[in-house]
Amino acid sequence: MKHIKVVAKSTICRDKHTGCGECQSSCQSACKTSCTVGNQSCEQKINRIEKEDNR
Amino acid sequence: MVHAFDCLGHSFLLDVESGSVFIVDSLTKALIENHDSPVDYSKGEFSRYTATEIAEAGEEIDALIKEGVLFSPEPPHKKPEYAGIIKAMCLNISHMCNLRCEYCFADGGSYSGAMTNMSFEVAKNAVDFLIAKSGGRRNLEIDFFGGEPLLNFDVVKRTVAYARGLEKEKNKNFRFTITTNAMLLDDDAIDFFNKEMYNVVVSIDGRKSVHNSVRKTVAGEGSFDAAMKNALNFKAKRKGQYYVRGTYTALNKDFSKDVLYLNDCGFDQISIEPVVLPENHRLAIHKSDVPELIEEYDKLVNEYFRRRKTDKWFNFFHFMIDIYHGPCETKRLVGCGAGNEYVAVAPNGDIFPCHQFDGDADYKIGNVLDGTFDNRIPEKFALNNLLEKKDCRDCWAKYYCSGGCAANAIHYCGDINKPYKITCELMRKRIECAIAVNSLEKSK
Repeated sequence: MKHIKVVAKSTICRDKHTGCGECQSSCQSACKTSCTVGNQSCEQKINRIEKEDNR
Repeated sequence: MVHAFDCLGHSFLLDVESGSVFIVDSLTKALIENHDSPVDYSKGEFSRYTATEIAEAGEEIDALIKEGVLFSPEPPHKKPEYAGIIKAMCLNISHMCNLRCEYCFADGGSYSGAMTNMSFEVAKNAVDFLIAKSGGRRNLEIDFFGGEPLLNFDVVKRTVAYARGLEKEKNKNFRFTITTNAMLLDDDAIDFFNKEMYNVVVSIDGRKSVHNSVRKTVAGEGSFDAAMKNALNFKAKRKGQYYVRGTYTALNKDFSKDVLYLNDCGFDQISIEPVVLPENHRLAIHKSDVPELIEEYDKLVNEYFRRRKTDKWFNFFHFMIDIYHGPCETKRLVGCGAGNEYVAVAPNGDIFPCHQFDGDADYKIGNVLDGTFDNRIPEKFALNNLLEKKDCRDCWAKYYCSGGCAANAIHYCGDINKPYKITCELMRKRIECAIAVNSLEKSK
């Protein structure tokens, strides 16, 4: 594409395996007076990446 | 819905429902902004482009729409339900503090109650309560908060040891975090934090004059020199995640200087965020301040982006975003989980929806000592999700802030489902900056 550079496609997971609740509560991370969820990471995806890295 | 914006000299598109992100040229951005209206391509900004260029950009847009990653429709959502599970706890281990910060929501650490420390008995019961309420969740979080947690360090240590002792038997993984004002942050504490604390948040507001104007000792003296000396020693020895975290107020609307000052001091994990106070407070940020603050975020993001290519690389908490491995939709709908998956426990064992409700009898859920637990408040907070917030439904940033802080909504808007608008505007700006920085860095 000449005019558009794709950074990421369809990043919001909605499949049946989501919503496990194992990720960090956002307010516990660093803020304590605001709420940002978008800078959190999915625990399942991170675990998957770590497993792949360890192979 | 597609949000188009400029940052760091580039144009970006965020497809809200799919979370897709694109870097585009100015022609494509203009076409997107005029997507729903008839356009005369011979006039205005389009007159700079040839018919071929306009057709090419239009074809690229159409291809992405067809693929379902641009102007993607809002899918049906699975409505979050109250599951009765708690997996994160703020343990207000001390209602005492050695500082008297002018903006403190905890009224000098006491939360308008008695200045007291939590006993080990209460902390132990809180751990047992958390495990009992956590269902099948394996990762459990305990944040030691206050007041100043290091004023009750012995109980912090004993609580961690107690919880660690139960991990294997109960098949749980505890993540401990702690927030400290650094006044008592000595080598003993640092060693312990390195062994046990997943994250440590150290409160420093930035430049000495800024910090000292609001973060004072009980005697009314500025706390900067002692806090900074200890924080720098901590940074040098820290093994693991940490943040220096500050609050900016009406006194330092030029807060980018405080962020950069902290970086100049040697910190590379920094979070500074706006104070939230009643309008008549001298430190309060008002709606009229927002344009100036947004300009300040612009200044910060430019220097941030530049420094991250140098030996002064650092993370600014609010410019971080995980574009590729961010949270699932469920998490984005429920947000922080206050009063639902996340609660706070006071030194006397009382349970509240989060630390900002500590001491408010109207929001007392129960007590870890007597085992009481009234489901009515958690059920109400469980419904505090994005789908219930009418003001958020058409906001492009909804899946990144999840409707904002429940405590701020109740305390400043009188309704858990009404977002605090000043925070909204600043949040949107920070998310734009975060998307821009991460897109440009990741798409190299």
